[in-house]
Amino acid sequence: MRDWRKIAAGIAPDIPAEDVEKIVPIMEALEHAFEPLRAAIPQGADMWTSE
Amino acid sequence: MTILEAAAGLRARKFSSRELVDESLRRIAQSNPKINAFITVTEESAKARASQADEELARGLDRGPLHGLPIAHKDLMMTRGVRTTAGSKIFADFVPGVDADVVKKLDDAGAVMVGKTNLHELAYGITSNNPHFGAVHNPWDLERIVGGSSGGSGAALAANLVFMATGTDTGGSIRIPSSFCGTVGLKPTYERVSRRGVIPLGLTLDHIGPMARTVRDVAVSFNAMLSRQGDLPTPSRKGGDHTAVDQPGYIPPAHVDIRGLRIGLPENFYFDRLDLDVAGAVRNAVQTAAALGARIVDVRVPDIGALNTVGRVLLLVEAVSNLRPYLSQREKFGSDVLALLDQGRLLSGADYADAQRLRKILVTEFSELWTHVDCVLTPCTPTAAPKIGQTTMDVGGVTEDVRLATTRMMRAINVLGIPSLAMPCGFSTSGLPLGMQILGAPRNEDMLLRIGAALEDAMGFAGRIASRL
Repeated sequence: MRDWRKIAAGIAPDIPAEDVEKIVPIMEALEHAFEPLRAAIPQGADMWTSE
Repeated sequence: MTILEAAAGLRARKFSSRELVDESLRRIAQSNPKINAFITVTEESAKARASQADEELARGLDRGPLHGLPIAHKDLMMTRGVRTTAGSKIFADFVPGVDADVVKKLDDAGAVMVGKTNLHELAYGITSNNPHFGAVHNPWDLERIVGGSSGGSGAALAANLVFMATGTDTGGSIRIPSSFCGTVGLKPTYERVSRRGVIPLGLTLDHIGPMARTVRDVAVSFNAMLSRQGDLPTPSRKGGDHTAVDQPGYIPPAHVDIRGLRIGLPENFYFDRLDLDVAGAVRNAVQTAAALGARIVDVRVPDIGALNTVGRVLLLVEAVSNLRPYLSQREKFGSDVLALLDQGRLLSGADYADAQRLRKILVTEFSELWTHVDCVLTPCTPTAAPKIGQTTMDVGGVTEDVRLATTRMMRAINVLGIPSLAMPCGFSTSGLPLGMQILGAPRNEDMLLRIGAALEDAMGFAGRIASRL
């Protein structure tokens, strides 16, 4: 799992600590859903474009 | 009164455009203090434009069915000389020097803009509970949300203030208010209606479309909004002249035949967690389609949960990309929008690229569906409109975040870029509108309008006006 607090600490303009705490659980849930999907991307798969 | 009825009345000189616009302005003055559907009302320019429309008709210049009819634009569409706020403090005093393409097209079609409608801040949310311009109230029950982000457009239609309104849909923002307001909305195929001049949220997810009270009114409006240049043939026009440039758009006739059409009914995902009212209303629509001669085909849809996850990653990043110049002005954002922007800032470029790679895979998987069916019919929102200020709700025995629950059946369709027609299919036991959506292959809006019109005629739920105001 990524350390979302550490990532937040490294960006500017700052995100206040109390706001970071509110979004960390959301980011963890999103990561939990997203990581298995990206792990299954076949080698060489292209990105979507609007034709 | 529908758009086509009003158009006929104008040409029969039963009333004038000026009279229609005056009546629209009178109703807005009466209703807007209760529902807050409009941020700006353009009274003087509307009256002048209406008089011009009457004069044009009198000298034989007929711009088509929208000529002289009062309409509204979501306050995300740039309007030359008229403030365009995006429902945001940041753009509160922004007066564009140009019209959005869609504004110009509707103006060229003779429509008369009476105002700019309220919305969720920056179109980034589904309640239209706007912290800067006030909440939009649902005309069917003033304590309930109207949906969003095109909430003011939905409310203006449900309250019978205008004949049509424009909307945008990045994760359900045309279809959710249509569902909660008992109105009809079309999210067209991606880029079928020009995005130029519309303040962006998610560049690869934003769709512009019409909202109205009936399917045929939506068809007329879509025809006026459509980007003609570079149009490709639509699947339902096989055998004809495929250059859409000079073709009139499809308006469903008085009696629509859907016999033999294959309507897909999802076996998975879409009926998993729903209010019983919603499930019953949608299944009733399916039975109606079968009674009209359509063939109901059970289908398994590809992984909608995966599409929703991909869509969330894409939108979180794209919204930050659009709003980056303003991120240091945290005090100018509402708390919900700010939280979403903060989330997007934590994602990486690799996250975004991988989401777009997954999107291509999932789009290809989903396109296989269209070899088996002509459309897919699903619920729109899992419940009727929640109350203003409500943050969680019980859906099928599970407590869910209102935003995530309400977008559950919406977001994937923006990732796919396919058209979706949202329309009423019944009312809850407490008298609130319930909606369904009809999905189709890319550029096959005509098929959705055809099936939607047949169901509308048979079920009789569309075109109703909220009477509780």
